[in-house]
Amino acid sequence: MNEWFSETMLRHQLLQLPAMLALGIFAGFWFSKYFHISFTVGITLLIFIMFSFIFWMLPHSIDLAVINTSFNRAMHVNMLLAGLFMIPILQSTLFEVKIIFLGMLSSMLIATGITLTVYDLLLCSSYNIAQQKETGSRFIIAGIILYAGTIFTFIRGSGKQ
Amino acid sequence: MKKILIPLCALAICIAVIWKWTLGFSSFTIFSYTLNAAGNIPRTFPDIALINQDGKVFHLTDKHNYVLVNFVYLDCPSVCHKVNNQIEQIYHQFDSRTVPSKLEFVTVSFDLEHDGINKIKKYRTYFGKNIDGWNFALPYNYTQSNFNSFLHNVGIWKYSVPETGIINHSIYLFLIGPDGKIVKVFDPARESNNTIAQQINSCLTKEAI
Repeated sequence: MNEWFSETMLRHQLLQLPAMLALGIFAGFWFSKYFHISFTVGITLLIFIMFSFIFWMLPHSIDLAVINTSFNRAMHVNMLLAGLFMIPILQSTLFEVKIIFLGMLSSMLIATGITLTVYDLLLCSSYNIAQQKETGSRFIIAGIILYAGTIFTFIRGSGKQ
Repeated sequence: MKKILIPLCALAICIAVIWKWTLGFSSFTIFSYTLNAAGNIPRTFPDIALINQDGKVFHLTDKHNYVLVNFVYLDCPSVCHKVNNQIEQIYHQFDSRTVPSKLEFVTVSFDLEHDGINKIKKYRTYFGKNIDGWNFALPYNYTQSNFNSFLHNVGIWKYSVPETGIINHSIYLFLIGPDGKIVKVFDPARESNNTIAQQINSCLTKEAI
């Protein structure tokens, strides 16, 4: 299963990582019933989540995750933890923080997508340029969808407030 | 105060990890990371015995002039040939007063399994008959694992994709000085042939002065 995910950059970046994140998020729904996260800890964990996303989007990290088994496991655990904390934090944090987080995440996806699409150089040695560009274009689409979601959340939240 | 301190510490730790991981925000790919992790320039080019297209064994350190070295494999679907075409153009920017007396070119194959002397000899003919001072070579008496370790010390990343057999690798060109030290590293994907030739020329001029 892991080999199948690692076979193309698209599967690795847009299926494997989000799948681990989604598993964490599902677990996070249960987790959020039992734990209350304070604002300070919430911000700290949001920084950790953003760091996780940035780290696993670096071409150097992607390569090592494909080549090195221990590194691959660390990636799975890291994304699972990021997902696990995400829901309890977003449920308890300030509306403004939620919007900033989602906005930053969507911007990061779009920026990464543009980088992968525009560069004619191979950035990850485990894949090829065609896969790199395909992943980049899907990143842009995912980023735009998330951006639209952020705007929707903002409008809905502003109305409530 | 404590409320701000904890997130700030977390932020500092995260930035420090990424700073360390990218060698000071300078190496985002495994290619640049391997190059920069090998050490700053100038640094000594690791010694290696090579065998050229005519079966002659030599060491780069024996040259005592400038040598431009690149690494390729002959079954490469595209990139290696593009780089060699670039080197061909750079080669022709220097006249016979410079090459081979002051500057030499060495193209090393790192596919020990598929590339042999006859193959590199034939491949060399694609670049013309009069290319004195441009040798195509293979590592001499090296196992693949020893050679991989040599490449790592040079700063070259190489990875064979299991599904396709394609070898993805760094395409840097290394300019080695007469003292056996790497004085310049060029990225042919980012630098034009003219820029590379100019920089080589400036090194040769400095040496002459």
